[in-house]
Amino acid sequence: MIGSGAGGAIAAMELARAGWDVVVFEKGPNHFTNLAGQGPIGTAFANDSLAMIVRNFPGPDPEVFPRTWRPNPSAPVQYTGSVDELPQVVGGGTVHWDAKVPRFWDIDFQQRSALGPFPGADVADWPFSYPDLAPYYDEVERLIGVQGDTTKIPDLVTKHAPRKNPYPMPPGPQMRSSTAVAAGATALGLHPFPFPMAANSVAGYNGQHACNNCGFCSSFGCPVVARPSALVPLRQALRTGRVELKPETMVTSVNLSGTKATGVGWIKMTAKGPVTGTETADVVVMAASAIETVRLALLSGFPDRSGKLGRRLMLHAFIDGSAIFLDERMHAHRGRSVTQCAEDAVDPDYPGARAFARQHGLPYLRGGLMELGGTQDPISEAQSYQTLLGFIRAAKPFGTEFKQLMRASILRDRLAGCSLIGHDLPYLSHTVTLDAKVRDVFGLPVARITWSAGRHEQVAQQFWIPRLKAMMSKAGAGVALAVPATDNSGGVPTGNHIMGGMMMGTDPAASVTDAHGRVHGLDNVYAADGSVFVTSGAHNPTNTIMAVALRSMRQLAGSNMRHLAGS
Amino acid sequence: MSATGPRRRTIIAAIPVAAGLAACTSPRTPQSATLRFFTAHQAAVVEAATARIAPGPRDDPAEAGHPGAREAGVTGYIDTMLGALQDEGTTPGIFAGGPWSNRHAPGPDLMARFAPLDPVARIAWRKRLTAWQDQYRQGIKALDKLAGGDFTKKPPAQQDKILATRSVSEFTSLLFEHTIEGMYASPEYGGNRGRAGWKEIGFPGDIQPRGYTPDEVERSDGHDPVGNTGIVADVLKILGIV
Repeated sequence: MIGSGAGGAIAAMELARAGWDVVVFEKGPNHFTNLAGQGPIGTAFANDSLAMIVRNFPGPDPEVFPRTWRPNPSAPVQYTGSVDELPQVVGGGTVHWDAKVPRFWDIDFQQRSALGPFPGADVADWPFSYPDLAPYYDEVERLIGVQGDTTKIPDLVTKHAPRKNPYPMPPGPQMRSSTAVAAGATALGLHPFPFPMAANSVAGYNGQHACNNCGFCSSFGCPVVARPSALVPLRQALRTGRVELKPETMVTSVNLSGTKATGVGWIKMTAKGPVTGTETADVVVMAASAIETVRLALLSGFPDRSGKLGRRLMLHAFIDGSAIFLDERMHAHRGRSVTQCAEDAVDPDYPGARAFARQHGLPYLRGGLMELGGTQDPISEAQSYQTLLGFIRAAKPFGTEFKQLMRASILRDRLAGCSLIGHDLPYLSHTVTLDAKVRDVFGLPVARITWSAGRHEQVAQQFWIPRLKAMMSKAGAGVALAVPATDNSGGVPTGNHIMGGMMMGTDPAASVTDAHGRVHGLDNVYAADGSVFVTSGAHNPTNTIMAVALRSMRQLAGSNMRHLAGS
Repeated sequence: MSATGPRRRTIIAAIPVAAGLAACTSPRTPQSATLRFFTAHQAAVVEAATARIAPGPRDDPAEAGHPGAREAGVTGYIDTMLGALQDEGTTPGIFAGGPWSNRHAPGPDLMARFAPLDPVARIAWRKRLTAWQDQYRQGIKALDKLAGGDFTKKPPAQQDKILATRSVSEFTSLLFEHTIEGMYASPEYGGNRGRAGWKEIGFPGDIQPRGYTPDEVERSDGHDPVGNTGIVADVLKILGIV
């Protein structure tokens, strides 16, 4: 098992329960205690903006594990550093996520059949449908513990992502910033509702504490482990006694002999320098998150009959919305980062969307889920003012005016952020490749990301930006800002939703992995993370990663159980 | 996480006290005995420069009643950071521990027990700090040169002008970033003394294990209009036309 995050932890649990001996390699360190024991899990994570936002505590540190980025295949590399990094620690991306768990829609899994072809993009159907995956969504929700209110889910969402069961826990308190923006959404004719979230609203679920709304969710490790997430399946895996967790150990190759993997090579840094080794295996499961899984596949020389290995990278084309309230402090530092969402913009049939797409020569456009009411920490806020003062006060871009801005806090305490998760079409030109020059601390080529908002994403942003602004104005915001997130980052993608590169499919000539994540052309190598995604949905993807991994690994585990029974 | 040795905690505890003393006796020259990286003069230049970036009551009449970089101990924060890896045997003060401080919980300040650096993180931080140390040495020299010898001897308006000079803009930018961190990071890192930075902006900071009550999460805190003048008005105007 390569990776201990959303996909890897699920895979380890499923295979260990089926009787496999599993070694889980995790590139980063372990900041948890009592993972395999009884009672609550302990952690070193605190309400600490400096460690988490500035100093790369969750890793990877770009000084030693950089990536490179270029906007398109004919452009040179324009940036070396952090590019859409997910935490590199035991628990992976579920350590810093704010644990929002909306489901993809039925049309996401049947996008080619339901919405037709899209010129310039490689839109395809998944090898299974929403009804096939729904039971696995249910199981993941029970496993990691989700709070939500099915009675408040609007009809549009129920139509496209029907569910049989209520959430295991009721929703916690609704943040003032979220309900304020949600009121604007309702006034615009949208349908906001409590954002389903994998955090305990009830003490004792999974033996963990209840969330106390400390406000440090998104980008932070939970100090009370009230959103144990991937640690739940990881704990279940470890408790079988058949799983060994190896932190701070990076897999550098999947070793192949013909069409069979014999195991993996690994490297580990010690105080005296790097140490290398190999581990033999009957099956190798890759779950290092899409970008690193593809990088490893390329480093290992995987077969690529379809020519799609590393292609169709999907990162979500976020719009950053900022509702600034001039008459009230919204105190969005109290609560679970954001507690309301709306899915109206996910719908290609939203009033006016089809016509706008046609005007721009496109068959359709889709925005994405809106996250209503977040904010940023004071260090990030201060950095925003530093940048702004550089533009508008060149003669003296610091001093008392900086401190006046901090006290007025228009970009933190008076802010209710409204992100729109932009649906990102799969393009063959959006890729993960190996960088020709830049190496990591071990001397291996780093991942080079080629990505920028495509034609569909740009038109969708043009359609949704004015609507997002109107929503925030109706909510009472004195200033309503909305811009593509990449405008704020010099083009470098930052959304932390990483999908594609090893797309699933039934046809080995048109996909990289089969319907259960087995790499075409290899007998015993699987991908169990976001790399296998065929489309990007328009939602936070982690629970879908877990549900897909569970479906794939149950099939693999089942085949093993049959094997054991017959031997 | 393993607890760190007493040495680390002593140093952390010593900095605010010593720097506080320095502020009382000789505001522009922190005592060199407490310094890990800077010379006394380098610390004085950093103290003067960061006090221009985030001025306090003594630095700008507009800041009466509002602590700034000097009061928050920003120089100590930067010095602690730049010297964080100089004692091989101790846990470096790069990542505060967890899961909470003693600000809302009885018992010891668990954030003051710094987390160990894994070998890869140590390489990263060695690289980063070496580069910053060099930037500080060169940057301080450049400020002194623009001041005709000693930056600290120049009047505030001249210091502002020097910091806004194009040739040192990269260093000023780095100073600004680290001033921000020293003002608003958790006090365990050596700045934000007495939570001066947080109190100044009405931010509670770390709140575990207390958290917030449902009422605190849900309620409106009431009518509180922003003073929409000066820089605030200018920024709102810029943002409004984006």
